[in-house]
Amino acid sequence: MNKTVKGRWRLAVALGVAATLGVSGCGLNEDNGSSGGSSAGASVLRIGTTTDVSNFNPLQSLSKTDSWVLNAMYPHLLRIDENNKKAPELAKEYRYEDDGRTAVFVLRDDFKWSDGKPVVAEDVKFSAEMIMKYKLGNVAAKLTWVDSIEAPDATTVKFKLSQPYAPFAEGVGFWMSIVPKHVFESAGDLSKFPNDSNWVGAGPFVLDSMTKGQRYVMKRNEHYPLAPGGKAAVSQVEYRVYPDVNTMMLALRNGDIDMMGTPVPVSAAKTFENDSKIKLEKVGALGFAHLTYNMNNKHLAKQEVRQALSMSVDTKAIISSVLQGDGQQMAGPISPIFADYDNTEIQPYAYDPEGAKAKLDAAGYKDADNDGFFDGLTIGVACDQSNANITRVVQLFRESAAKAGIKLENECVERNTFLTRTKNGEYDIDATQWGVFDNPMDQLRSTYLSSNPGGINYNLLKSDEMDKLIDDAAGTTDPEAFKAKIRNIDKVVHEQAYLTPLYVENFRFAYNASRFTGFVASPSDLLGMVTAYSLAQVTPVK
Amino acid sequence: MVRFVLSRALKAVLTVWIAITSTFFLLRLLPGDPTTLMVEGDMTPEMQAALLKTYGLDRPLWEQYVSYLRELLQGNLGISFRQIQPVTDIILDRLPWTLLLAGTAFVLTVAVGIPIGVTAAVHRGKLMDRLLQGFGISANALFVPSVAILLLVFFGAQLGWFPIGGAIDPDSRGAAAYLSLAHHLVLPVLSLVLVQLGPYALTLRTNMIEVLGEDYIRAAQARGLSARRRVWKHGLRNAILPALTLMGLQLGTLVGGAVLTETVFAYPGVGRLIYEAVGQQDYPVIQGAFIMLAVTVVVANALTDMLYAVLNPRIRL
Repeated sequence: MNKTVKGRWRLAVALGVAATLGVSGCGLNEDNGSSGGSSAGASVLRIGTTTDVSNFNPLQSLSKTDSWVLNAMYPHLLRIDENNKKAPELAKEYRYEDDGRTAVFVLRDDFKWSDGKPVVAEDVKFSAEMIMKYKLGNVAAKLTWVDSIEAPDATTVKFKLSQPYAPFAEGVGFWMSIVPKHVFESAGDLSKFPNDSNWVGAGPFVLDSMTKGQRYVMKRNEHYPLAPGGKAAVSQVEYRVYPDVNTMMLALRNGDIDMMGTPVPVSAAKTFENDSKIKLEKVGALGFAHLTYNMNNKHLAKQEVRQALSMSVDTKAIISSVLQGDGQQMAGPISPIFADYDNTEIQPYAYDPEGAKAKLDAAGYKDADNDGFFDGLTIGVACDQSNANITRVVQLFRESAAKAGIKLENECVERNTFLTRTKNGEYDIDATQWGVFDNPMDQLRSTYLSSNPGGINYNLLKSDEMDKLIDDAAGTTDPEAFKAKIRNIDKVVHEQAYLTPLYVENFRFAYNASRFTGFVASPSDLLGMVTAYSLAQVTPVK
Repeated sequence: MVRFVLSRALKAVLTVWIAITSTFFLLRLLPGDPTTLMVEGDMTPEMQAALLKTYGLDRPLWEQYVSYLRELLQGNLGISFRQIQPVTDIILDRLPWTLLLAGTAFVLTVAVGIPIGVTAAVHRGKLMDRLLQGFGISANALFVPSVAILLLVFFGAQLGWFPIGGAIDPDSRGAAAYLSLAHHLVLPVLSLVLVQLGPYALTLRTNMIEVLGEDYIRAAQARGLSARRRVWKHGLRNAILPALTLMGLQLGTLVGGAVLTETVFAYPGVGRLIYEAVGQQDYPVIQGAFIMLAVTVVVANALTDMLYAVLNPRIRL
């Protein structure tokens, strides 16, 4: 009997092991018929990413981590260089004609798709027309002004605009991916095209295979004119998925990956200090943290209250405490990262609780019950509690505002709830961080126009004066006059204190300098060190 | 017996339907919609409306529900909002990894938990028993991600014995692939087993102590049966009955634990898929994954009930 029981157990265990291994065996092969390849070879660059590629269609994808892979594969007309300026990529130059009503891009003639066909103006025209037709991704909003597109020859693309819009070329040039017409046109409705196999790209690397949940293997495109020598020095780029940033940092230290695509958190940067192999590259942000005041609130509609609140925020202490000193102060809504547009004549509101009190006194607010707070002046501050930095900012703001007699209520909530409230205007003060603004004009239009075209006019501002100033600047095609008008709007917003800018943070990207060198960082955590241009410049350390 | 099986099957179907319905409506009760979490700005209300229409979320709730059930009955879990792929394919891609992880952890918990629980009961009050109790109570307080990251730092980064995350070296082939698979499996399984083992062994110990005091055990002793036979054959068969229920319930906890374990260890299973889908409000993927989990837990519990009935004929009455 005992023997029978033992026999059954053995059989069960054997069956279990066979079943689990057999079942898992179906996941042992890579998709798209991988040719395999040594993953830790000298010229294989392994990059940590936080999530799988969710959508391989570059015209449609809205995910930051998707863009790391897709940008290396599909060229853009322009890129942002290390000085935060637009630089040529597929387009070697751009200009405006017809008093700004036509934007003309002149393309390079040496870009090639990985199947050997040249990248031509028809590809650009097709990409833009498909985005407009199916309203794909976030580029559709940037093509609002386009009446028609022409490709008179293989290297010229003309966008006919319904009205002049100064940063049109910069916005579209930076954001729009160019896809191969000869591949995508057979897919029909591009809003339903997953593009998840047999990739054809014209960036320095093209996806070759993937093991979902684990890695994405990109092989070098043998024709990439922006790389020294006409092709990247790295033969293969692998994105490896680590959802937890702590695990990713361990993987970098352990040599399992060569760089992190995602920035190293401020609090964790010190862990790499004693590691001689790991180098941290610092880049600025294309967004900034801010407090935005809801103009529908009866107190916040008053300029004196907004100014008093701006004087109650100790931004220097915030930068010191939240960013450990590694951030820049701002005065108006234009980030100092855009040096040509930032109005340097204006200064941030100095932290002055007594001055803020005096301002509120003058505005008629009283503290009749002597509880240290102005009567009836209780204001909520909403934020996304998953953002540790902003949550800490709100705590510090509450404490400093209390010294000015302003009672603030912490209304930080779960991210979805926060975004929904923000969308519905259900907040007094919105404490948040803008992600990426590639140019100041798009930023000002999105955040201050009464028509709220981008849905992020969080002030809910309806001001004829601001509308006029913005529309006037938007139609100015003379570069110097355009810059002057932006600087003026910067000043007006500062005086009105529609928002209190808090800081522009720096991002740190970590990589193994003993294996690779030559990265060219671009601002923000959108692409950081993994732009197509940067990956094409990287060389293995010999 | 047929009636018993039928009644259990009916209850299982009802439970799954409740799980499907509550998941469907709870997701839609959440603040916002799938467009809320897409990149900030530059999405006009018209574009949002167009996206919601594409996702079918512009229709009345009841209409969405009826249509979802209709599709489900035909085995169609829908299309992922973000990945534009059938949810069934996405889940089937990830399921084997979770089965391997949770299955191995489950088998190991039982295989190690039974001898520990029995030995502690037999040596009640002695050092071995006290150690188990200490471990069992501490294990109740363990949090899967904390254990996981500690194991990773010590055995992965410090000692370098195990890889930092992943499920397999994608370049390995043949036997090396299976070795790599096992190598990557050790730490995630250990995290789950460490958390599950204590409570399981403690439950078994308590049952065993009770059973060992029963008359029929004393009678077996009087009949001259060896201690080993008394404990392992007569005692364990009865003590394991309540533990069986716990095993069924533990399967649900294991799968829940897998969400966190898979995230920390970068393990490509269904748990991580849920983590990512929740972050993106990808309703079809979340629904599909929850239905799959609900079915797994319900089937496991139904099987446990039936096994219970086989082992203990009284409950069939």
